[in-house]
Amino acid sequence: MKLRVQYMAQIRAAVGRAEEVIEIPEGSCLADLLNQLATTHDAAKAHFVTETGQARPSLLIVVNDAAVPAREAATTVLHSDDVVTLLPPIAGG
Amino acid sequence: MLDLPELTSDERSRYEWQLSVSDFGEEGQCRLKNATVLVSRIGGVGGTAAMQLAAAGIGRLVLAHAGNLRIDDLNRQLLMTTDWIGKPRVESAVRRLRELNPHVEIETVAENVSDSNAAELVGRCDVVVSAAPLFAERLLMNREAVRQQKPLVDSAMYELEGRLMTIVPGRTPCLSCLYPEPPPNWKREFPVFSAVSSTVGSLAAMEVIKLIAGIGESLTGRLLTFDLRDMSFRTVPIARQPDCAVCGSLSHRVDQHEKLGENAEKRSMPE
Repeated sequence: MKLRVQYMAQIRAAVGRAEEVIEIPEGSCLADLLNQLATTHDAAKAHFVTETGQARPSLLIVVNDAAVPAREAATTVLHSDDVVTLLPPIAGG
Repeated sequence: MLDLPELTSDERSRYEWQLSVSDFGEEGQCRLKNATVLVSRIGGVGGTAAMQLAAAGIGRLVLAHAGNLRIDDLNRQLLMTTDWIGKPRVESAVRRLRELNPHVEIETVAENVSDSNAAELVGRCDVVVSAAPLFAERLLMNREAVRQQKPLVDSAMYELEGRLMTIVPGRTPCLSCLYPEPPPNWKREFPVFSAVSSTVGSLAAMEVIKLIAGIGESLTGRLLTFDLRDMSFRTVPIARQPDCAVCGSLSHRVDQHEKLGENAEKRSMPE
């Protein structure tokens, strides 16, 4: 299935684009997506996942219009045409 | 009802154009005059927030920011002037704010927020504007504001993006609900135009004015995120995290429409 992934702030700079369409297997969860992105976008890997492949706890994840805590990434099943927005924490003052 | 200070005739003239804002009026102005706001760092975001709050007639501002002005601060720190390079930032800020509005009392602390001063600084104020460029300071400010049950407006930017969230301890998610741990790769130096940082600062000031005057609908339980690259603005609902290490032990407050100071006795302290 295909879904749209939007990158914000430092992730956008590391990935080099604002958004892209990603193809992942049916039934994939949010954690699967993050690990796939970590493989394809090595420069942004630390934003997506921890060293053990868990969703990065500080990453703000929005699926369509709902924020999903990183700890729920492994239980959040994605659907075709979902829009996933990935926002790393920012602190510019 | 709080015993609010009265406005002088000069203040009525100065604020004439905002006194006509519906549901604000003279009572709202008196509430601003009665309030103290702490601004943590007066750089691109906090400096503009302080300027907007001074223009609006906040009674007392407490400004915390260490260090001397550098030339590379001047693309965004609008309370600074070129002739002040090498001198303390807070002194430039006081000078500029007093030129703008001599009615505002201004206290300066030439230090950044730290473990040694956070409790005392938060204790002095009614509302906090958090605008430091480091997560350690923001999370510390959040922790102390939650502990003392003081509303906090967290305002941040990066490049052409901005984010804002208003935190009312016990009623809304706090910064640690949003970011349970600091990110591993935030860099102290970030790309910034003043037009972006000032936008965030102005929005933060409006949140403070709304909170103090009791008008409008605060940005609570929602994160505002915007990108000026394509002028997209959105708010994302954010939930309290019951196991939040900072605010999870606070009982839920339902006093949705309280005005600051009136219901202090209702505030529940953390266990």
